[in-house]
Amino acid sequence: MSTISRRSPASYLLAAPAALWMTGAVVVPTLLIAWVSLWGGRAFSPDSPLTIANYARFFGNQTYLKLILDTVQQSLLLMAISGVLGYAIAYFLVVMVKRPMVRLAIFFALVIPFWTSAIIRSIAWIPFLGVNGVINRTLMFLGLTSAPIDAFLYSRTGITMAQVSLYTLLMTGPVVYTLSNIPVQLREAATCLKAPPLAVFRRITLPLTLPGIVIGQVLIFLNVMSDFATVAAIGGNKLALLGNLVLNFYEAGNIRYASVVAVLLMVCMLAGVAIALKVVDVRRLGE
Amino acid sequence: MRWTTRAALMKWTLGSVAVGFLIYQWLPMVTLGVLSFSGPDGGTTFPMNGVSLYWYAELWEPSLSADFKAPLLRSFLLALACSATTAVMAVAAAQAVRGEFRGNGVFFYLILLGIMAPGLLVGFGVAIVARLLGIALSWSTTTFLVHVTWTLPFGFLTMLAVFNRFDRRLEEAALTLGATRVIAFRRITLPIILPGVIGAALFGFSLSYDEFARSLFTTGADLTLPLTVLGQFDRQLTPSLYAVGTLTTLFSLTVILLFGGVMWLTRGRARRPA
Repeated sequence: MSTISRRSPASYLLAAPAALWMTGAVVVPTLLIAWVSLWGGRAFSPDSPLTIANYARFFGNQTYLKLILDTVQQSLLLMAISGVLGYAIAYFLVVMVKRPMVRLAIFFALVIPFWTSAIIRSIAWIPFLGVNGVINRTLMFLGLTSAPIDAFLYSRTGITMAQVSLYTLLMTGPVVYTLSNIPVQLREAATCLKAPPLAVFRRITLPLTLPGIVIGQVLIFLNVMSDFATVAAIGGNKLALLGNLVLNFYEAGNIRYASVVAVLLMVCMLAGVAIALKVVDVRRLGE
Repeated sequence: MRWTTRAALMKWTLGSVAVGFLIYQWLPMVTLGVLSFSGPDGGTTFPMNGVSLYWYAELWEPSLSADFKAPLLRSFLLALACSATTAVMAVAAAQAVRGEFRGNGVFFYLILLGIMAPGLLVGFGVAIVARLLGIALSWSTTTFLVHVTWTLPFGFLTMLAVFNRFDRRLEEAALTLGATRVIAFRRITLPIILPGVIGAALFGFSLSYDEFARSLFTTGADLTLPLTVLGQFDRQLTPSLYAVGTLTTLFSLTVILLFGGVMWLTRGRARRPA
């Protein structure tokens, strides 16, 4: 018995607003993008003939193809860096920090920046990356380089540096969650049975944190794939990934091409999520 | 090497990684705060050329930069609306899922789509819909519509987690004693889950307040605060942007502290006999 009975009309009524809202504002618009990407002709009208010419022209362009590769590559790079970094931090926080107050303090220090504006956090990297920026001044002060290095601002290095600071927490969070659900006794038992620490990690901890790892990796993948703001802020106009391409086409009034890129971006992202869902069942995490 | 030494070494290595990352994460934000106080001739990096409140005064009466006051008000109102909508719809949706209605599995993923779908694309799609239907874009209509698709899933997940830990026997007791479902929900369930509801609302507020990807295509002429910041950044980066950044960051911190405070004050509420 509970305040709502099984399959009652009330349960359908309560679900309806959210279902309608998400359908109307996410599902339908997304399908519309796919439809618009197939429009031929020039006018913005639903009567346009359907064609795959937009896709053909997009795939005929080497620059755009390379952009898809660049975007996926950037995501994989972040998944690797932030994945390892995020896992290490989570492991330290849950397994190695013994005092609850210290753990809480570190946790808050990690989480708080996450709740502030991503744009501001991207912009905050600018004073560091420029030719006269903090990094170059520090390097020159330490005598590591005689002339400023022009490799940070407007470059993939700079973008990666900012993205690592933005997205590592997406990995730490889910791993902390799964790690703290592992009873300490499991590790202790393995250690008592003379398993060396590395074996304990590889055969006990790692498999049990797999759901957290997969979710963290998916979150990083999705965020980097669709990140255009960090790329625009730090890459200037010199660099673009798929997200920026959507924006550029849209601003140039070329809605068909923007739709084509948007569809490709979605396909890449869905493929990533599909692979991940094969590994873990997201719904069981709340239990 | 003895393995106790190795374990100690491991602890130090991971500890330095964690502390190193914390510094890495905080240093730019602290620097932003410091540079926002640079003198009138200060540039966008060091040296600061003096210490002043010049760039904060510039925010109040802008001469070089965009006016941030009206966008701030819009973002604030938008965030409030998203916060209220998220709280109400998230409770309704989670309660519905407890009713195990047919198709609740699909429903779960439908709502989660809001997190999975990239904001840029959802905003782009809604802009296309609006154009097809001939609806004018505005921060208070189309942007609101899209923001809720982003804030609702977080509220929904929060409420699902709250209901997972919820002691059903309390409800059962009320119902056995003759309370109707509506009364039992209002007098027993709602007070117990209230901290979660407030959490969902604050989630909704701060996610909407900082959102820009979903606003980009859907806002029309009157911009929200993050869009104004982006626009100003595109035109010219001045320390006044650092001042805006510092103020919004402080504002976000206040919201988080508020959230923490509410959670702390209401802790153990579920266990206390009514």
